[in-house]
Amino acid sequence: MSVLPAMLRPTPAGSPQPVAVIGVWPRLLARWDARIGLGLLAALVLVAVLGPLLTVDPNVPDYTDKVAPPGGGHLLGTDGAGRDLLARTVAGTRTSLGAALLVAALSALIGLFVGVVAGVLGGWVDAVLSRLTDVLLGLPGLVLTLAVVGLLGPGFGNLVLAMTLAGWAGLARLARVHARTALTRPDVLAARMAGVGELRIAVGHVLPAAAAQVLVLATLGVGEVVLALAGLSFLGLGAQPPTAEWGVMLAAARDTLAFAPWQLIGPGLGLVATVLAATLPSEALRDVTDPGTRA
Amino acid sequence: MTRAALRRLGQALGTAAGGAILTFALLVAAPGDPARRVLSARGVQDPTPTAVAQVRAELGVDQPLPLRFWDWLTDLTRGDLGVSWRTGRPVTTELVDRLPATAILAVSALGLAVVLSLALGLLAAARPGGWPDHVARVLSTAVLVVPGFLLGVVVLDVLVVRAGLGRVIADGTWSTAFLPALVLSLGAAASWSRVLRAGLLEARGAAHLRVSRARGAGPARRLVVHELPNALPPYLTLIGLGSAALLGGAPIVETVFTWPGVGRYTVEAITGRDMPVVTGFTLLAVLLYVVVSLALDLLAAALDPRLRARVAA
Repeated sequence: MSVLPAMLRPTPAGSPQPVAVIGVWPRLLARWDARIGLGLLAALVLVAVLGPLLTVDPNVPDYTDKVAPPGGGHLLGTDGAGRDLLARTVAGTRTSLGAALLVAALSALIGLFVGVVAGVLGGWVDAVLSRLTDVLLGLPGLVLTLAVVGLLGPGFGNLVLAMTLAGWAGLARLARVHARTALTRPDVLAARMAGVGELRIAVGHVLPAAAAQVLVLATLGVGEVVLALAGLSFLGLGAQPPTAEWGVMLAAARDTLAFAPWQLIGPGLGLVATVLAATLPSEALRDVTDPGTRA
Repeated sequence: MTRAALRRLGQALGTAAGGAILTFALLVAAPGDPARRVLSARGVQDPTPTAVAQVRAELGVDQPLPLRFWDWLTDLTRGDLGVSWRTGRPVTTELVDRLPATAILAVSALGLAVVLSLALGLLAAARPGGWPDHVARVLSTAVLVVPGFLLGVVVLDVLVVRAGLGRVIADGTWSTAFLPALVLSLGAAASWSRVLRAGLLEARGAAHLRVSRARGAGPARRLVVHELPNALPPYLTLIGLGSAALLGGAPIVETVFTWPGVGRYTVEAITGRDMPVVTGFTLLAVLLYVVVSLALDLLAAALDPRLRARVAA
């Protein structure tokens, strides 16, 4: 179990090396673990998008057919209210993937904005924003998430917001470093000499350089975001019943575990598959782009 | 070295101060009137305006913000974290009552994680590409991918309920700590062993290892005496950050195993919107994190002179 999303972790000292975004696909696809992960990810996205169209309504209870074992009309059985577990697992794919992507996208947006503004403006703006990100990075991510959920109250939307607020700082630091590096590039100097405005340089030259790096790092953290979302929902701090969400389903399955352990299968497999699909490609990407950790 | 250490100390103080300001902001921004919450915790259902005003004065929430912050900060230095909104008892007492159980769990988990990661990392690095390396890699990936709470639920059902090993209701003592500590430690053990393996392999590339090899040092001696010390600083830093992450993971594992610690208490507090308890836990975790990572950075700098410049940076 890893409880701390990678993007919430403080980055080691020293400036990060830019990830070579171009030309990385062939090397990534040459690895079997990356191929498995990406294939799984594609399958899960397909399930999330099309699955709910093919299954029964995940929220319709059938009180005459509660806690049914797998097989028969229900491939994965039914839960304590007689709802179809396959349909709920499939609907949970959409919930988990959607929420994790939302957290990653929002964190990337905030981190990119703060980092590029700090890097381009410099001076006291940079000092204030950098101290803020330092403080946030100096705090354990999950504790910060819990504190914000405590403030906003339990709920899936609040959890997504809390994870975003706890997660953007690492991305901001990365964006700032790459923004500062980009400012010294020849094309930026040429643009400045040609009389291009500072705002246009920031948006047209600096932002894209930082954006590529930030997006890569945000994507690397998606697996652990999925884990944290499900874990906190399991505790009752995120999604609330009767939402078809894996953490919520696992919490419900725990109550009937003694006589109906199969209730764990759907949400458990879904969660493991999603984290695997996110972890395998990101570990492979780390290996092919960072010679320091290559075996 | 002294200057570097002092700068690092200043950085730690800055983070602690930032954490305190952030925590206070959370406390102030929390919805609900603290006075009414405390009154209802004391069993007063429909308080009169005078009673509310009295408690507001008692808690100091009728003061202007800067003054409130100052009072809160001075209370903090005396170990006073305020009053729980659900029980009306001091938060410090509530947390201290539950701290031993969490400490037992965290120390056991930390010990297990260090032992497991050392064993896995050394085994994997002894012969990279060999079968122990592959087994270690598959094991650590599996552990990182299976969420701790799912593992906890399954372990509890299979080992405790069905096989009759251990007790269903953990009482927060050493004798019941093994299973929850194991579940809590596995993720950390997996990721630490990977970092240790990478560090060991990197250390192997150093020129002095060819010298010691030429002088007849065997592979085991080279691994433990020459490569391990060089791989230790990043590993130690990771343990420092990880120990605080263990505290962050405590709420989940403690809830699954009904462990009577601060983590489960905090989850209950969040559900009950008991903000002083939540901020108390946050401060506790932040302070622990800052102190441990400071200590480990200084330790790493003491171990490796090359890091001294970086600690100062």
